[in-house]
Amino acid sequence: MVSEALSFILQLLIFPGFLFIICLAFFSEWVLRKFVARIQNRMGPTYTGSGGILQPFADFIKLLGKEDIVPAFAERTYFTLTPLLCLTLPLTALFILPMTGHRALISFEGDLIFLAFIFTTLTIMVFLGGFLSGSVFSMVGGVRAATQLLGYEIPFLLALFGPAIPASSLSISKISTWQAQNNAWGLWTQPIGFGVLVICLLAELELLPFDIPEAETEIVAGWNVEFTGRRLALVRLGRDVELVLASTILADLYLGGPQQVWIIPPIIIFLAKMFACLLLIGYLKTLFARFRIDQVLSGMWKYVIPAAMIQFIILKLIW
Amino acid sequence: MSGSTIKVIIGPQHPALKEPERFILETEGEYVVDVKVRIGYIHRGIEKAMENRTYLQGLYLSERVCGICSDAHTTCYVQGVEELLGVEPPPRSRFIRVVVAELERIHSHLLWLGIAAHEIGFDTLFMYVWRDREIVMDLLEIVSGNRVHYATNTIGGVRRDLNDEKIHKILKGLKTLEDRAKEYLKMIQKEQTVLKRTVNVGILSKSDAIKYGAVGPTVRASGVKRDVRADDPYAAYDEIPFNVIVEDGCDCLARIMVRSREVLESIHIIREALKRMPGGEIRVRVKPRIPPAEALSRVEAPRGELLYYIRSNGTDKPERCKIRTPTLANIPSLCKMLVGGYIADVPIVLAGIDPCFACMDRVLVIDREKREAKVWTLDMLRRYGREWYRKR
Amino acid sequence: MSKEEEILEKIKEKFGNKVKDMTIKRSRRIFAETDMKNLKEILRYAKDELGFDHISTITGRDLGEELELIYHIAYQNAIELSIKTKIPKENPRITTIVDLYPSAGIYEREVHDLLGVVFEGNPDLSPLLLPDNWPKGVYPLRKDVTLEEIRELIEKGGEKG
Repeated sequence: MVSEALSFILQLLIFPGFLFIICLAFFSEWVLRKFVARIQNRMGPTYTGSGGILQPFADFIKLLGKEDIVPAFAERTYFTLTPLLCLTLPLTALFILPMTGHRALISFEGDLIFLAFIFTTLTIMVFLGGFLSGSVFSMVGGVRAATQLLGYEIPFLLALFGPAIPASSLSISKISTWQAQNNAWGLWTQPIGFGVLVICLLAELELLPFDIPEAETEIVAGWNVEFTGRRLALVRLGRDVELVLASTILADLYLGGPQQVWIIPPIIIFLAKMFACLLLIGYLKTLFARFRIDQVLSGMWKYVIPAAMIQFIILKLIW
Repeated sequence: MSGSTIKVIIGPQHPALKEPERFILETEGEYVVDVKVRIGYIHRGIEKAMENRTYLQGLYLSERVCGICSDAHTTCYVQGVEELLGVEPPPRSRFIRVVVAELERIHSHLLWLGIAAHEIGFDTLFMYVWRDREIVMDLLEIVSGNRVHYATNTIGGVRRDLNDEKIHKILKGLKTLEDRAKEYLKMIQKEQTVLKRTVNVGILSKSDAIKYGAVGPTVRASGVKRDVRADDPYAAYDEIPFNVIVEDGCDCLARIMVRSREVLESIHIIREALKRMPGGEIRVRVKPRIPPAEALSRVEAPRGELLYYIRSNGTDKPERCKIRTPTLANIPSLCKMLVGGYIADVPIVLAGIDPCFACMDRVLVIDREKREAKVWTLDMLRRYGREWYRKR
Repeated sequence: MSKEEEILEKIKEKFGNKVKDMTIKRSRRIFAETDMKNLKEILRYAKDELGFDHISTITGRDLGEELELIYHIAYQNAIELSIKTKIPKENPRITTIVDLYPSAGIYEREVHDLLGVVFEGNPDLSPLLLPDNWPKGVYPLRKDVTLEEIRELIEKGGEKG
């Protein structure tokens, strides 16, 4: 009993818990930065560590040491809460996603709904944090984040729940196990849903072409313009964790998640799938120019939502 | 109406502005209803300074009006002074001026294309274009020895000659540039996200362009065929056949297209100039004192019509030297373009005129030299330079 | 007859001796001089009848007792007509030409800043180039303002300090 509890705590704290996820987040940021840089014919980070691998970590440490400023017009509670929740919400979400084996660290029937809830909360926190930081730019950024949510939330949820239909379960672990066992990856059975989910995740992560809430040349840094020091460090780490979260969702729900192939352990297979998704996101990020907010909304309602609905109808007809 | 508008202040510090300038936008929701411009954050007082310096010193000052179109400024200044003196620069020097001016235009347009891509969030294009800008910067270094302030022009000609080896290198570099420029031109016309952000954005109709006195690529993108190189030929432009690029779009896409196509046209001009270049001297000696006269010199800088009015009074210093830079001429039309647009489109519309604020602000003297720890007189500098070279 | 001469003849015919010293300095460069009160009339004629639809700039110059304004206007962007006019330094006032050339507003503001010429009728003569706290009555491009004076003013940091 004691050893079981101890092992759970170790799992929670070290592997595949906090430590592993945070290391993975830093590593993912490096991979993404390097990959995007190579596509754009640049070097990317080179200085810290071999090939600049420690650069995200160094950035984090540096930001921790910077001055911490709370603007006079900011709402203190939310201003403090937003960076914290930006980090903890995606971290919590990662516990319910299977990474090392068939079962996630915490798994229960209906955790898919919990995941959807976390994503929406995250955007609302971004909106509140931006709106209450007391700067024009962060206010515009926060409002834009909320407006964008209206566009992508419906297709996002439809694409998120699509894989649950064939597996007839609302548990992420069960869905990915079902896909792995039946060799019926979501990518093959519902390709439109996969595309919709990728687009919505780009919007959720505020990556190009949907980085409207933090468009640098328009509204400086958008909703996170007022964050400094350790708050900014937390926000940035939260972004990295969210990046891991996004690629993990794609890997688990549409690529069968961790599965044993021959003698390769599931974690390796999972990481391979996750990084494939990460690179896909990175590749898409470099391809486009930024949309305008009205163009995003009309595009989402005109094309992405119908596509997600058609996918849902097809699924219902088959299963 | 005053109750429902919100003032959004862009600048003096803003990521979309590469130089400090202030735009106060009156907005209603996402729409811009009025614009006020406050310039003057980077005055250096060059006009006043010129009156207190000799013509030759003024040449170096004029080069430093702008970092990007430095050659256009010296060409304009030098032509004015030559007109005052009644001196004709040798034919070979006029062709070299064309080569450097066109290389500079390519460099400036590529720089602008990168910035425009960055303003609409297309960082990949930005990186690619700026990588290729290095080629033309290297070519300028081959021609003049410098990457930024070329210091090619001097009163009465140019300072450095071209030889066959340099010409060969230029032609080779131009070939690569031409391929790349064609590639970008094709890509811009096809890429949907670029089109979405630029088509019908920042409209400046043909009649407005004339009414508000727009110049350069901005006016040419509104379908008005105005180019000082063709209308009022200087240097060797009257001996080189070329097309004036005009687009009818009147929007930001048209401005991108005009500049991209002008890059190709400039490559063509350089090739022609190198082909037709006569031999002979590259400069004539001139007297430092200039008899009283006045001259109006115009040049097509990469951003548009640049104008110098110089008046001499018989001494070695000019009586008055007026500089009118293209960006200042484009400000009224910029305000016109911004009104009625979205806030999100402000950066690309702003970038659309290719603003160069350092050029625009230049009038007041700010001499910080005295505050610095080391005050160096000209003689001290000269001595230092001589010693430094001896040591090498 | 060249185009420059044609334009010169037309203006001479219309305005007679209201226009002085009309010369063609070289191809595409015409200089002329006129009185303050005839200026606008000539500009209007040049714009409406001769097609000088582009104003390049307004140059201001300190002559000592008087200030000289030079209006550089362009014909199809090729022929540059420079019309000079003199105004007294004591009371430098002249009517605006914003109604003729909307883009002239910004050049008038520049001249107002640096030489203190008041353009009557210009809706916005707020400082364009000089700092907001620049002392009133100091016009840096006037000849009686020396570099030392300006330097001192900047060291002091303007009026409010």
